[in-house]
Amino acid sequence: SLCRALLSPPDLSWISRAQVNQPAVLRRAEQVQARQAVKKAWQAAWLLKAVTFIDLTTLSGDDTSSNVQRLCYKAKYPIREDLLKALNMHDKGITTAAVCVYPARVCDAVKALKAAGCDIPVASGETRGYGRCHPNPHGIGWEHLQKEIRQFRKASGDARVKTILATGELGSLTNVYKASLVAMMAGSDFIKTSTGKETVNATLPVAIVMLRAIRDFFWKTGTKVGFKPAGGIRTAKDALVWLSLVKEELGDEWLTPELFRIGASSLLSDIERQIYHHVTGRYAAYHDLPMS
Amino acid sequence: MAATRVEPRAREIFSTLEYGPVPESHACALAWLDTHDRLLGHYVNGKWQKPEHRNAASCQDPVTGENLATFLQAQEKDVGAAVQAARTAFESWSQLPGTTRAQYLTRLAKMIQKHLRLLWTLESLFTGRAVREIRDGDIPLAQQLLQYHAIQAHIQEEALADWEPMGVVGLILPPTFSFMDMMWRVCPALAVGCTVVALVPPSSPTPLLLAQLAGELSPFPGILNVLSGPTSLAPALVSWPGVQKVVFCGAVEEGRALRRSLAGKGATLGLALGTESLLLLTDSADVDSAVEGVVDAAWSDRSPGGLRLLIQESVWDEAVRRLQGRMGRLRSGRGLDGAVDMGTRGAAAHDLAQCYVREAQSQGGEVFQAGDIPSNNPFFPPTLISGLPPAAPCFQAEVPWPVVMAFPFRTAKEALALANGTPRGGSASVWSERLGQALELGYRLLAGTVWINAHGLQDPAVPIGGCKESGSSWHGGPDGLYEYLRPLGTPPQPPYFCESLNYDTFGLAVPSTLPAELEIGSSPEPPYGLFVGGRFQAPGARSSRPIQDSSGNLHGYVAEGGAKDIRGAVEAAHQAAPGWAVQSPASRASLLWALAAALERRTPALVSRLERQGAELKAARAEVELSVRRLRKWGAQVQAQGHTPQVAGLKGPVLRLREPLGVLAIVCPNEWPLLAFVSLLAPALAHGNAVVLVPSETCPLLALEVCQDMASLCPAGLVNVVTGDRDHLTRCLALHQDIQALWYFGSAQGSQFVEWASAGNLKPVWVNGGSLRAWDQQTEGAGPELGLRAARTKALWVPMGD
Repeated sequence: SLCRALLSPPDLSWISRAQVNQPAVLRRAEQVQARQAVKKAWQAAWLLKAVTFIDLTTLSGDDTSSNVQRLCYKAKYPIREDLLKALNMHDKGITTAAVCVYPARVCDAVKALKAAGCDIPVASGETRGYGRCHPNPHGIGWEHLQKEIRQFRKASGDARVKTILATGELGSLTNVYKASLVAMMAGSDFIKTSTGKETVNATLPVAIVMLRAIRDFFWKTGTKVGFKPAGGIRTAKDALVWLSLVKEELGDEWLTPELFRIGASSLLSDIERQIYHHVTGRYAAYHDLPMS
Repeated sequence: MAATRVEPRAREIFSTLEYGPVPESHACALAWLDTHDRLLGHYVNGKWQKPEHRNAASCQDPVTGENLATFLQAQEKDVGAAVQAARTAFESWSQLPGTTRAQYLTRLAKMIQKHLRLLWTLESLFTGRAVREIRDGDIPLAQQLLQYHAIQAHIQEEALADWEPMGVVGLILPPTFSFMDMMWRVCPALAVGCTVVALVPPSSPTPLLLAQLAGELSPFPGILNVLSGPTSLAPALVSWPGVQKVVFCGAVEEGRALRRSLAGKGATLGLALGTESLLLLTDSADVDSAVEGVVDAAWSDRSPGGLRLLIQESVWDEAVRRLQGRMGRLRSGRGLDGAVDMGTRGAAAHDLAQCYVREAQSQGGEVFQAGDIPSNNPFFPPTLISGLPPAAPCFQAEVPWPVVMAFPFRTAKEALALANGTPRGGSASVWSERLGQALELGYRLLAGTVWINAHGLQDPAVPIGGCKESGSSWHGGPDGLYEYLRPLGTPPQPPYFCESLNYDTFGLAVPSTLPAELEIGSSPEPPYGLFVGGRFQAPGARSSRPIQDSSGNLHGYVAEGGAKDIRGAVEAAHQAAPGWAVQSPASRASLLWALAAALERRTPALVSRLERQGAELKAARAEVELSVRRLRKWGAQVQAQGHTPQVAGLKGPVLRLREPLGVLAIVCPNEWPLLAFVSLLAPALAHGNAVVLVPSETCPLLALEVCQDMASLCPAGLVNVVTGDRDHLTRCLALHQDIQALWYFGSAQGSQFVEWASAGNLKPVWVNGGSLRAWDQQTEGAGPELGLRAARTKALWVPMGD
């Protein structure tokens, strides 16, 4: 399927025709946010599922091997064992989807994960084929941008390519849609809202537009492209909203770590707190749950 | 570690990631019902009334069928007591300063704030609607409505100085309504100083609860009285003296029946009928967002009814694919589940939808149904019908909830023809990213509300109403306030009902007239004939009627108009109407001023004719002079049309447009043969209408005199004057289906007939009930009331953002 996407000639008329109505998308985002997706057992199960989508991330200047090691252990054991047992989920092998660190800390992470005896992938986009495309699609045209991304695609060989759109900088939701299409046409396997370190990160309206682009691309080419929001997803409630958004816009088949990731650092501890509450009926103290 | 609760299902859900129930506790609703022993009476004059020996209607949970409560059905004497309470309360409530009423409405909003859960669970429990919509949509809107109208009450003395409250307002609500329908009408009525008697179906406790909350607050407990009972009590409600206005919202046919049964009863009737809306999806639209618009419009509990969906051919496949995909993800279930999109509307709504779908299927429509729907009876799946040709019988019928009827169109022009080709004119939305196209469609759709790239937005400051069979009453915004006001100093209309009036024969035949003696004209005669299509034409009947002067001598002959002449006049008016409607205000003003100048030049002839009709020279001069002034005044006022309300939470303007009605028929009074004619004609023309006029029956010559000038000044067909027997011409006009409004100033019986006959196309009518009007006074002859009635409002929502 990847080859098919690569071989397909760029459909620029599709890009130029694209229309996104911003106020309508904002209203949809409000509706999605206002609805209570799930409660009780459903909430617990959904939250555990959310854990498996997390790219557990630390991208700080002061990262060292010790906190990266802590992070990796947390990735392996994201939820306290007894809580999982109470939910009868201890044998499901629930870990986060990946660990995300700076290139300089990749070795530490791999070592720590090996020591923990698990095969959680370590992600660090910057290690291979890091590149930044021309930041201004208006200046160079969508076609040119697609060519640039395609070159990264070629340079990465068999590796999976994730394109970060920096949606906060794109100016309009129509541009978000177009940029998503361009990235997918150029062969990206994943599209991501933002680095997670920008002033505007993952927002629901942007996500709605990107998810619709992913679905349209799937309908047209048969290729499933993954989606990763990053930045600003901090609470369990947020996570539930994001899961239900993907479920609503793309359907259940996208709710797998191969096609959906959440870039987050503090989300996991809030999810664990909610699970604690679900299992025990009490709100956890800070020291009840292991830190990462 | 604390004791754990084992959860066996989590494992299963982890792999399926299905949605689960989010039940909303409705214990407080049940507890409230229990405080009434599950038996609800009426809330009248600040007290619960549980009269004995009344029919009881038990009400079941629409999903479980469990008995929830029993309602006592009101009888006529209960209605009488409620009206009496409201009348007593009106005496003091209407005299309060606006600021005091404002404080009261604010306190009611705060009171609601304290009982939110009770309100939303009670409403959801009985209606079956999704609690999420009531909690997040209706209740906040109810509070905003109270706040908005509190502000309107506060500034009433300044902003509405020339108006006074009508009196007791009767509010009639159908079984399938939400309590918001009541809030939209009760708030403005109370704000301006009216008091309310609401007749609600014996299946909804929320209005009773609201009345209780309102009653507990107020030193005037009778301002809001709520009775449970059938709609058939409406005539009884009106028959009690003091009820000046009846407001009804519900099905079109019920509205029609009510219009007929209230003819001549003296109360003005405000109708808001039908629930269907319309969505126009063009090829430049954001189709995904438009699909969400369809969900808002038909497949959610935000929407009151079904949807007619017009899709441009080039995006048909794309749109239908997305719609079907979206339908599959809709969840239906018990309203009290916080996670469902669609609740149920009870067995009646289910059967209605079922019946419609079956019929559409048998007539060649393709039916697509999807969604996560419980299989038991009251739930009906979201339904999409396509492929039904416009000629199919059920194409014209109102589309019920939750059905969407989709059909393709080729060009925007065709879309307009299709959209405007139904008898309904409620709300519509246009989805297009091209501003010019969107505005063109928005302006030209015949509807009360048009949203551009949105559907179903509401705000207390924006009027909601309709045209054609959707009724012509308004709620929200300034238009909603005027519904409950009348010009200061005008007395309330006494009833003019005549039991013996035979609707079948009224004005049916024209009494034949024999030629009298020869005419003795002191002044040259105006050309003979009916002024139709810009020229004087011989009447179809080829007969004439003699006109006598005040001393009984023959003044002249005028043409005897009949049904065929009315038909011709209405056709001519329809041809002229579109061109006149799009004229700039400046050119409309200049025509009215030119008419004024022409009238001024004709003063001697007009004065002498008035004198022959018995007027004093001074009075005759004054009448002509005032007529000239009226033309100038309305000409000058043409510019001041519409305004832009401020809406909380919306980026972008909402335009309040004042649009022409179309063809307006006017039956002039006998008195003031020139002044009344001009006073009625001028506002009608100023607001862009084409006019068919019946001049004073006893003295039509003055109007014909003016027609000579109009022949040269006005576009052909803009003004048509048909002389003849007033009752006969009134009958023809009132029964005409293609006249958009009718003003009648004649006899009591004629008024009653006009009201009865207007039920045909539900045209708004304005009748005098046989009483005289002071045309020479500013308020009655040239007040803002005429301007309000001469045009209709349209709210055009234009959200912005990129």
